[in-house]
Amino acid sequence: MDWTLQKPRLQKPLPSQPYDRWVSPAGVCMAEFHRAEGGYYLRFPGQADFLLSIPASGEAQAVTAWPLPDCDTQTVTNLFHNAIQPILGNHTGGLFLHGSAVKLKDERGAIAFLGLSRGGKTTLAGSFASEGNPFLTEDVIDLERRDGQYWLQPKRSKLRLFIDSARHLIGEGHGFLDEDRKQDVDAGDALPFADEAAPLRQIYVLGTDHSASLSIRQFSLQEALGALMPHAFILDVEDKERLRGHFARMADLAQDIGCFALDYTRDYAELPRVKAAVLQNLSAA
Amino acid sequence: MQLSQIISASKDVVAREVGGEMVLLDLASGQYFGLDRIGGRIWELLTEGPRSLSDLCDVIEAEFDAPRNTIETDLQALLSSLGEQELILANPS
Repeated sequence: MDWTLQKPRLQKPLPSQPYDRWVSPAGVCMAEFHRAEGGYYLRFPGQADFLLSIPASGEAQAVTAWPLPDCDTQTVTNLFHNAIQPILGNHTGGLFLHGSAVKLKDERGAIAFLGLSRGGKTTLAGSFASEGNPFLTEDVIDLERRDGQYWLQPKRSKLRLFIDSARHLIGEGHGFLDEDRKQDVDAGDALPFADEAAPLRQIYVLGTDHSASLSIRQFSLQEALGALMPHAFILDVEDKERLRGHFARMADLAQDIGCFALDYTRDYAELPRVKAAVLQNLSAA
Repeated sequence: MQLSQIISASKDVVAREVGGEMVLLDLASGQYFGLDRIGGRIWELLTEGPRSLSDLCDVIEAEFDAPRNTIETDLQALLSSLGEQELILANPS
């Protein structure tokens, strides 16, 4: 999908109240959803506004972005790929989730990690990649259902990491400009990328307790559906017909793919144990 | 809840059987609810159309092995709970 990047401008107050918001675990509003004539207006406070022009058929006609004056092009581009595209994908019958994924070596397929922002999904995927399991995506899980399987599509060949994660995964010398912000780290020998789709084997939902002991527990099918839905991208929470379709697709996914709760202490020293536990869990499935 | 009350499912609820149990999604609130086998059967019946509590008890008595008074008590509790969550509507007969 193409999109248009307009000249930067300030985010003036909007005349409407948002009908939905994305709020971080820390209570920060990450996105506001407003209705606009012929579509929707999404505001990412402090970053950019997007206008999604969507006719009644639901197929997006155009996406226009207005960054703030101090918002760099890469940030706006990331918002488009990591938020706008999956939102529109689910709106038009797709299956997109917020998470990371790796393709396991030895042709065992792919595993996905869902979780809240800053929950460790990217670092975990990067840790698997550093041991020869190339990453497919670090933020958007794009599933295409065909031939009785869910094919996980490759996305960007970059991982957005904080400096401490980058140091852990690939050592020093990667030129971070701002140590307080995430930065793109290109795929390479140290962090290989899988550029072909792989069949999804299992989903792991990362727990929110960053001090929890290592544990893996399979969700019941009901729990799995409840665990998956919060990690989906929903454009219009008031569009009941689309929600029905989305719910059905997510229920199919919960029935077809094993979903597990994964808890562990967010400590780099724990990652080898976490990976071993995941692989053992996968082998036992 | 009276046995003669007419119960109907909210139109804002979608249901899906997942793994032998029924999961309800309240489109209005975005909340999920799980129902066991009997609860799922009750929901199936309500999606066919409004029914009295007495009718629902009759069906459950015919299909499941439980005493009538237990069925009435359990269904009243279930439907009261669903009503509190606004997943069903209960009207006088």
